[in-house]
Amino acid sequence: MTKVLIIAEHDGKHINGSTARAVTCAQGLSAESVEIAVFAAEGTALAEQAATLSGVTKVLLIENPANEHALAAVLAPQIEVLASEYSHVLAPSTTFGKDLTPRIAAHLGVPQISDIMRVESPRIFDRPIYAGNAIVTVEAPAGIVVATVRTASFSEAETTGSATIEKREVNIELPSHTRFVKLETSGGGDRPDLQAATKVVSGGRGVGSKDNFNVIYSLADKLGAAVGASRAAVDAGFIPNDHQVGQTGKIIAPELYMAFGISGAIQHLAGIKDAGTIVAINKDPDAPIFEVADFGLVGDLFEIIPELEKALA
Amino acid sequence: MKILVAVKRVVDFNVRIQVKADGSGVASDGVKMSMNPFDEIAVEEALRLKEAGKAEEVIAITIGPKASQEQLRTALAMGADRAIHVETDEDIQPLTAARILNAIIDKEEPKIVMLGKQAIDDDNNQTAQMLAALANWPQATFASQLEVDGDVANVTREVDAGLETIAVDLPAVISADLRLNEPRYVKLPDIMKAKRKPIDTFTLADLGVEAAASVKVLKTSAPATRQAGIKVETVDELVVALKERGLF
Amino acid sequence: MPEYKAPQRDMMFVLNDIINVSELAELPGFEDATPDIVQGVVDEAAKIIENTIAPLNETGDREGCRFDNGMVTAPAGFKEAYQLYSESGWTGLDKSIDFGGQGLPYTLATAVSDMLCAGNDAFSLYPGLTNGACEALMEHGSQELQDTYLEKLTTGEWTGTMCLTEPQAGSDLSQVRTRAIDQNDGTYLIEGTKIFITGGEHDFVDNIIHLVLARLPDAPAGVKGISMFVVPKFMVDSDGNPGARNPVVCASIEEKMGIHGSSTCVMSFENATGYLIGNANEGLRYMFTMMNLARLMVGLQGLGVAERATQGAIEYAKERKQATAINGGETIIHHPDVRRMLMTMKALTEGCRMVAYDTAKHYDISKAHPDESVRKTANDRVELMTPICKAFATDVGCEVASLGVLVLGGAGYIRESGMEQYIRDAKIFCIYEGTNTIQALDLVGRKMKMNLPQTFIKEMINDLAAESGNDELGFIVEPMQAALNLLDKTTQWLTAAALEDPQNPAATAVEYLTMYSLVTHGHFWIKAARAALAKQDDDFYKGKLATARFFTNKILPRIYGLAPVIMAGSESVMTAEEDWL
Ligand SMILES: Cc1cc2nc3c(=O)[nH]c(=O)nc-3n(C[C@H](O)[C@H](O)[C@H](O)COP(=O)(O)OP(=O)(O)OC[C@H]3O[C@@H](n4cnc5c(N)ncnc54)[C@H](O)[C@@H]3O)c2cc1C
Ligand SMILES: Cc1cc2nc3c(=O)[nH]c(=O)nc-3n(C[C@H](O)[C@H](O)[C@H](O)COP(=O)(O)OP(=O)(O)OC[C@H]3O[C@@H](n4cnc5c(N)ncnc54)[C@H](O)[C@@H]3O)c2cc1C
Repeated sequence: MTKVLIIAEHDGKHINGSTARAVTCAQGLSAESVEIAVFAAEGTALAEQAATLSGVTKVLLIENPANEHALAAVLAPQIEVLASEYSHVLAPSTTFGKDLTPRIAAHLGVPQISDIMRVESPRIFDRPIYAGNAIVTVEAPAGIVVATVRTASFSEAETTGSATIEKREVNIELPSHTRFVKLETSGGGDRPDLQAATKVVSGGRGVGSKDNFNVIYSLADKLGAAVGASRAAVDAGFIPNDHQVGQTGKIIAPELYMAFGISGAIQHLAGIKDAGTIVAINKDPDAPIFEVADFGLVGDLFEIIPELEKALA
Repeated sequence: MKILVAVKRVVDFNVRIQVKADGSGVASDGVKMSMNPFDEIAVEEALRLKEAGKAEEVIAITIGPKASQEQLRTALAMGADRAIHVETDEDIQPLTAARILNAIIDKEEPKIVMLGKQAIDDDNNQTAQMLAALANWPQATFASQLEVDGDVANVTREVDAGLETIAVDLPAVISADLRLNEPRYVKLPDIMKAKRKPIDTFTLADLGVEAAASVKVLKTSAPATRQAGIKVETVDELVVALKERGLF
Repeated sequence: MPEYKAPQRDMMFVLNDIINVSELAELPGFEDATPDIVQGVVDEAAKIIENTIAPLNETGDREGCRFDNGMVTAPAGFKEAYQLYSESGWTGLDKSIDFGGQGLPYTLATAVSDMLCAGNDAFSLYPGLTNGACEALMEHGSQELQDTYLEKLTTGEWTGTMCLTEPQAGSDLSQVRTRAIDQNDGTYLIEGTKIFITGGEHDFVDNIIHLVLARLPDAPAGVKGISMFVVPKFMVDSDGNPGARNPVVCASIEEKMGIHGSSTCVMSFENATGYLIGNANEGLRYMFTMMNLARLMVGLQGLGVAERATQGAIEYAKERKQATAINGGETIIHHPDVRRMLMTMKALTEGCRMVAYDTAKHYDISKAHPDESVRKTANDRVELMTPICKAFATDVGCEVASLGVLVLGGAGYIRESGMEQYIRDAKIFCIYEGTNTIQALDLVGRKMKMNLPQTFIKEMINDLAAESGNDELGFIVEPMQAALNLLDKTTQWLTAAALEDPQNPAATAVEYLTMYSLVTHGHFWIKAARAALAKQDDDFYKGKLATARFFTNKILPRIYGLAPVIMAGSESVMTAEEDWL
C-alpha cells in the first residue's frame, strides 16, 4: 500500500512551485493517497493553496510558532512522528528539501534517495550522479522510502483539486539549539522565480562586471524571464548566489534558456539539461556550450543583446 | 576545542567520467582521484578556525579503502593535526557514514564536525544532515560564512531564496558550500611533515558500527545526451527560430 | 591558448611502471620518497602549476619583460606566482636539508619540472637557473659561501644565474675575457661584459646571485685559465641580508623570438666584488657541475613544450570538423594524416619522458647508492644520457611544436590559438646550454672515448634477449633487434672512421645522436609495452600499446635513413670549398 507524505516548501505566504512538482512525482507511484504536510506558524492560507494541487488527497497542517522558519532540526522530529503512517516521505530537492530530508531519514533509520528523476516503481527510481553525467537506477530497501524529488524532472501538478485540510498537533519537545537569524534575499523585484520560470536569461564571466549585468536584467525583463548565472559570475560578485545554475546551484527546466558569456562547463550544464530550448551566445566559437545549444550564435553579447531587444520592441 | 573534518576520496572533478558499457558503474580504473572539493573547503575552514585561535586541534577523518589515506595525507599537509582512517572496501552510503562519524564523535568529542555539503561522485548531499540527526546536534548546511563566537556558531547558508543566517549552539555539524573559502595550496614541507603525523586506523567492527540497510544500485547508464543544435549567423535568424517555437 | 593539464596518469605510469620509483626510497637519505609522498608531490605541484603558473604562459609571451634604466619588470603575475611557488617550498624539493631543502630525490624534481616547463617554459627558467647555481655552490663552494648563499637560493628567496657567454665566447668558452683581480682580502674585482644572461635582472626577489666565469691576470690561456666567482647583486651583510649595491648592472635586455617571459640580459660587471669558488683556474670543471643538471633541465623544457603542443593539438583535432573522413568520422582526428601527426607527437613526447625520468633516477643512484661501483655505473649512464636528454628532447620539442601548428591549420598560425608560441619558445632549447651540435659532439667525442654508448648498446641487446620468445612483444622486439644491430654496426664504423679522419664524427654527430636516441626510445617503448600488456583492458594501456606499435612502425625506421647518412662520413659535407657556398 503506497501512502505518500510530501513536505511542503513555502515562504510563509506561498507554497513553492517545487512542492507541486513533487506531487507530480508522487502521482507516478500509483499511490493510494498523496498527502501534504504544511509546517508553519500560521498556515491556513498555505494549507488552502496546497489543497488545490491535483492528486492530493489530504493536507496536514501543523501549526506551531517554532515552525515559522524551516529549520531542519525543528521539523525533522515532528515529521518522524507523522511518518509511521506512510510508505513514502518526499520533499523537493531544493535547499529546503536537501537540508531536511536526510535528517528525517536518519531519524527513521532508513537511507534516503536524492534527486529522483524518474519513477520506475514505488521502490525503484532513477537518479543522477557525477553532476548528471551518469544515471543510476536504484532500489530502496524495505521500510519507509524517504526521498527528494529533482524538480526539473517533473512538471507542476495542476491546481484543480480540493483536498481536505486536517490540523494536527505534534506534541513533542522541540530543540532550541538552532535559531533563525535572518534571510537576505536578493530582491529580484517582480522577476519570476528562477526555478519556476518558463524563460531564463543567464550570464557568465563573459558579462564582465556587476554593472554590465544590467544588460542581462534588461533583456530578462523584456522577455518576462528569470535571471540565472554561472558560478564564475557569482564568485566574481556580479550577481548574488541564489542565481547560480548548475550542479551546486539550481537545476532548472525552463522552456527557454539563454546563456550569455557562459562557456558551458559540465558543472553548469548539469543545471540546464532539461531545458526545452537552449540558446548560447558566446564570442568563442569553440565554447563547449555550443555542443548542447539548440541555437548558437557566435558574437559579442554586448552587441547582440541590444539587437535582440530591438526585435522584441 | 576540537574540530573533526570528514573527507572523501572521489574521482577528480576534472575527469570526464565514462559509464561502463555493461552498466555496472563508471570506469574508475587508474582515473585520477582527489579529495572531494567541498571537503577541501571544509578542511580549509577548520584550519582557519584553528589559526584564528578558535580551535586547538583539527582531526581529519575518512572512510574508505586503503588508498583513501592519500586524501588524509592531503588534509594533514594542509595542516590538520592528525587523522583517522576508517578502513573498508565496501561501498559506504551516507547513513552508514553518519553512523561511523557518530561513533567517532563519541570517541573524540569534537565541538564542530565539518563536512563538504555533497560529494561530487554520488551527489547525495546527506551525510552531514544524517550525522546531525544521529548525534542529536544542530546542523548548518551549505555554509558560505562561519563565525564562531563562544559556544555559538553563526552560519550564513546559501539557500534558494538567498543567504540565510542561523545561529547554532555548539556542538554542531556544519557542511561547506563552495564560497565558504578558497582552499590554500599545500606547501611541500608540509607534505613531508604530514608523513609524520599520526593516522589511526579502525574498522567498522572496531567502532561497533553496523552498516545500515542500503539503497541498491541496479544499473548505471549514460544520460540522454542533448542533440547539438545549429549555429545561426545573425540575430534575425535567431529571432525567427525562437518565434517559430513560440518562445520569443 | 589550450589549458594545461598535467599528464598525471602518464607521469605516474613512467614513475611506477617504467622506472620503479619506489626503489629510490631504499637509498640512504631518500627514505622519505615513499609512494605516498611521490603521489602527494605530483598532485600538489600539479595544482599550483596548473592554476597559477600555466595561465601566465600566454600573457607572459604577449607582454614580455620590460627594461627601464637598469631595472627589469617581468610580465604581470610572474612575481606573485614565483613567490607562491617558492614560499610553497617547491624550489627546495631536491636541495639539501641542511640549507632548508627537502632532500627529496632529483627524480621527483624532474617530475615537477616536467609540469613546470610544460606549464610555462619561460617561467621555469627563473627557478631552473637557480638550481644550477645551488649545485655549483654545494659541490665546490667554501663553507662560508655555502652558509651565505645556499639557504636563500634553496628557498627561492634569492635567484641565481649562470654568466658564461660573452660576445666573443659562446660555444667556445676558452675565449672568455672577463677579468678578475685579487684584492688579497678574500675578494676579487670582476670586470667585463656577459651577454644573454637569463634572469640576470628581474623584479621578483631581493637579491640575485651571479655565478661568473672570469680569468685571473696570470691565468693560462684557454679553458684551463677560467675561474668561477660568486657575484651578488647586493652585498650580503653580516646578518645575511642584502646590503650595498654591487656594481653588476643590467645594461639592456634582448628582444627575442620566444620565451618572452624570461629576461635575457646584457650584464655589465663594473669592478663588482666577487668571491672565488673552489680553486683558481678550475672554473670550467665547476661549470660542468651546473651545466649537466642545466642540460637535463633544458631537455625537460623540450619535453614540456612537446607535451603542451600535443595536448593542444589533440583537443583541437577532436573538435574541428572538416570533410568527412574515410572512416566516416566527422572531426579531423579521423583523417589518417592528422592521426599520423598526433601519434607522432604523442610517441615522441612520451618517449622523451621515459628517458628523462630514467636518467633522473640514475642521477639519484649515482649520488646516493652505498656501493661505489653502482654509483659509478649510474653516473656513466647519466653522462651518456645528458646529451641525449638535452638534444633529442629539444629537437622533439621543435618537431612536435611545429606539427602542433599544422594540426590546427591556419588557426595554428594565428596567435590566439596559442600554438605558434610553442614553436617560438621551443627553438632556444636547441641552442642554450650548449647547442645541440655541441651535445652531439660530446656524444661522439668524450662519451664515445669513455666507451659509454657502446656499453649501453650491449645492455640494450642483453635486455632484449630476455624478451625474445615473448610473442606478444614480438611486434617491437624483432624490429628492435635489427635496430640495435644496425646501431652497433654504425657505432663501430664511426669509431673506426674517427681514427681515419676526425671530420667524420664531427660531420655526422648530429645524425648519430638522433639515431642513438631513437633506438634508446625503442628500448623504453618495450618496457612500456610490457607494462601495458599486463593491464591491457583499460583505454589508457591500450593507448600505450598502440603508441608503442606506432613508434615501432613509423618512427624507429627513421634510423634506416640515418645509418647510411652517417656512414657516408664527412667527405661530401666538406668537399665544397668555403667560397663555393
Ligand atoms: C565542485 C564544483 C562545482 C561547480 N558547480 C558549478 C555550478 O553549479 N554552476 C556553474 O555555473 N559552475 C559550477 N562550477 C564551475 C565551473 O566549473 C566553471 O568554472 C564555471 O561554470 C565557469 O563559468 P563561466 O562559463 O561564466 O566562465 P568562463 O568559463 O570563464 O566562460 C566565460 C565565457 O564568456 C565568453 N565571453 C567573454 N566575453 C564575451 C562577450 N563579450 N560576448 C560573448 N561571450 C563572451 C567567453 O568566450 C567564455 O566562453 C563548479 C565547479 C566545481 C569544481
Ligand atoms: C635566450 C637565451 C638565453 C641564454 N641564457 C644564457 C645564460 O643564462 N648564461 C649564459 O652564459 N649564456 C646564455 N645564453 C647563451 C647561449 O648559451 C649561447 O648562445 C650558446 O651557447 C651558443 O653560443 P653562441 O650564441 O655564441 O653561438 P656560436 O657558438 O657562435 O655558435 C654558432 C653556430 O656554430 C656552431 N658551433 C660552434 N662551435 C662549434 C664547434 N666546435 N663545432 C661545431 N659547431 C660549432 C653552433 O652549434 C651554432 O650552430 C643564452 C642565449 C639565449 C639566446
